[in-house]
Amino acid sequence: MLETLHMLADGFSVAMTPMNLGLVLFGCFAGTLIGALPGIGPINGVAILLPIAYSLRFPPESALILLAGIYYGAEYGGRISSILLNVPGDAGAVMTTMDGNPLAKQGQAGRALSLSAVASFFGGTLAVVLMTLFGPLLARFAISFGPAEYVALMVFAFATLSSLVGRNSTKTIIGALLGLMIASVGVDANTGVNRFTFGIPDLFSGIDFLVVVIGLFGIAELLALVEGMATDTLVVRAIDKTFVSWKDLIAVRWTLVRSSLIGFIVGVLPGTGASVASAVSYGTEKRLAGASGTFGQGDIRGLAAPESANNASAGGAMVPMLTLGIPGSGTTAILLGALLMFNVQPGPMLFSQHPEIAWGLIASMYIGNIALLVINLPLVGLFARMLTIPHKYLIPVIAVLTFIGTYSVVGNSFDLFMMLGLGVFGWFLRKLDFSLAPVILGVVLGGLFEDNLRRALSMSGGDWTILFESVSSLALYAIAIAVLFLPLLMSRRQKRQASDLGEE
Amino acid sequence: MIDRIFAAALFLLALGYGCVALTLHAPFQYDPLGPETWPRLLALALAVASVAMARRPDSDPDWHGATAIRSLLTIGSALLAYAILFEPLGFILSTALFCTLTARYLGADWLRSALFGVGMGVGGYALCAWILALNVPAGLLPL
Repeated sequence: MLETLHMLADGFSVAMTPMNLGLVLFGCFAGTLIGALPGIGPINGVAILLPIAYSLRFPPESALILLAGIYYGAEYGGRISSILLNVPGDAGAVMTTMDGNPLAKQGQAGRALSLSAVASFFGGTLAVVLMTLFGPLLARFAISFGPAEYVALMVFAFATLSSLVGRNSTKTIIGALLGLMIASVGVDANTGVNRFTFGIPDLFSGIDFLVVVIGLFGIAELLALVEGMATDTLVVRAIDKTFVSWKDLIAVRWTLVRSSLIGFIVGVLPGTGASVASAVSYGTEKRLAGASGTFGQGDIRGLAAPESANNASAGGAMVPMLTLGIPGSGTTAILLGALLMFNVQPGPMLFSQHPEIAWGLIASMYIGNIALLVINLPLVGLFARMLTIPHKYLIPVIAVLTFIGTYSVVGNSFDLFMMLGLGVFGWFLRKLDFSLAPVILGVVLGGLFEDNLRRALSMSGGDWTILFESVSSLALYAIAIAVLFLPLLMSRRQKRQASDLGEE
Repeated sequence: MIDRIFAAALFLLALGYGCVALTLHAPFQYDPLGPETWPRLLALALAVASVAMARRPDSDPDWHGATAIRSLLTIGSALLAYAILFEPLGFILSTALFCTLTARYLGADWLRSALFGVGMGVGGYALCAWILALNVPAGLLPL
């Protein structure tokens, strides 16, 4: 415990250097702006700005502090368009529209915005505290993991992904497989054999992670915006003078605690991020409130729950990324990829080998959450003005940013075409109700998954039973199977209950 | 329906990917799996998953009619043209051209579009190349 505090103090000395402090503040500010733009969420913001952060040659901890600031800043900002526009700023803010927009319609937009800012702060801060306490413990436990355990961990990650993300689990699995296939292109590092390069020199070093990320989350998003322009008409509600009261906060105190814990736990689970966390917490609060709730018509609990949960999940998702090297959400998959670009291998050794990265990031998140609360209460009007930026200018600006991003890192036209191709493909996948987070998880984890599998089998001389030998890996497979079949069983039981009711 | 067609395409992808994976062979190999086992596993898994997808397709998405498709095709071609011209023309000229035309197409008037386009080209280059020292192409202009 004392050691943890000591490390945290070291982390603060990293995060408090003028440059890093500036980057935290800038990241949080930019993140809130990006989150407030309807449709553009944390994952798109981080994807579009990652190459620029990379080309500026920041040290890895500074780049990570900046990108993480954009990530949780955008989770704060997402609520603004949910409340004022009834359009979620990002996937994690979908549930915020349910009670946030009715409040705004009743002339209480100011109260809704300030209450949700406090809820976001509570969720975000509780998550960082939990991360400080449990992160190092998990890392210490995971340090004993060998290749076989890592294979089990990957299987577990993809199992939770397929059962919790998206509506169609087959499509989630297909998405992850496509990502793994994209990762398999290029020269095999162990044997030097070319795989799926078809003699194209640009493919020898593999499909660049950045190009995939910008294509799937920059270009595909842009195409979705173009499509939306042809169909949507939006009404922006004005911000009024109402403000959150202590009475409101006392009324939602247990909602905040419960939802933040739910958000953190869902965030820690591999692959599941803000959207699952806010949906689960909203459902829980609605059920607990029972008849006393006016959920859907402007219940403040219905607003506090998803906002604290989605911010807590952003912190939770960092835990497996830093300690295991397995991202907890789509956005942390990009952060993980960013660390790999800096030649930093996230995983249990990160806390001991690169404490300045792990602890610097954690410390910066304490600062960032306070900064976000401070800038979100008085400046909410400024962010709300972002909602009125016309798409006719926003769309070309995003396009230019994606081009700068790809070109400045890769430096050739081939990858611009690849980025556009992947963007069209990503748009098509989204159209068919595929979620893109599993694809990026597949891309990031592909190399790690294959390496560990091959290393495990080298150790056993080709005997596959090595994968099922240790207690840790067996436990992981057991949880993976449980996670896969639990939702099936639950929905069957619900159906049976429903049919029982029908017979009565 | 589109789900079934896409599932069929994925099945073909799995077949093609699997066939290429069958030809992989390492001259010297130190591990029992080699470079070929992992892609074969992936091909098999994708084949199974695509069959599962074809058996239980979702309902068709809303394509939002001809206007949406037309604007997607237009912006798509504009992006392609931008990618083709990005290096030869350089950042300033290609960006000014792209931004002016897309802003105009998306509903801004000519004057504003042109101001916006030139601003993005010149301002973007100044910010990226001079202040942030990023690698952006100078192209035709002697910069």
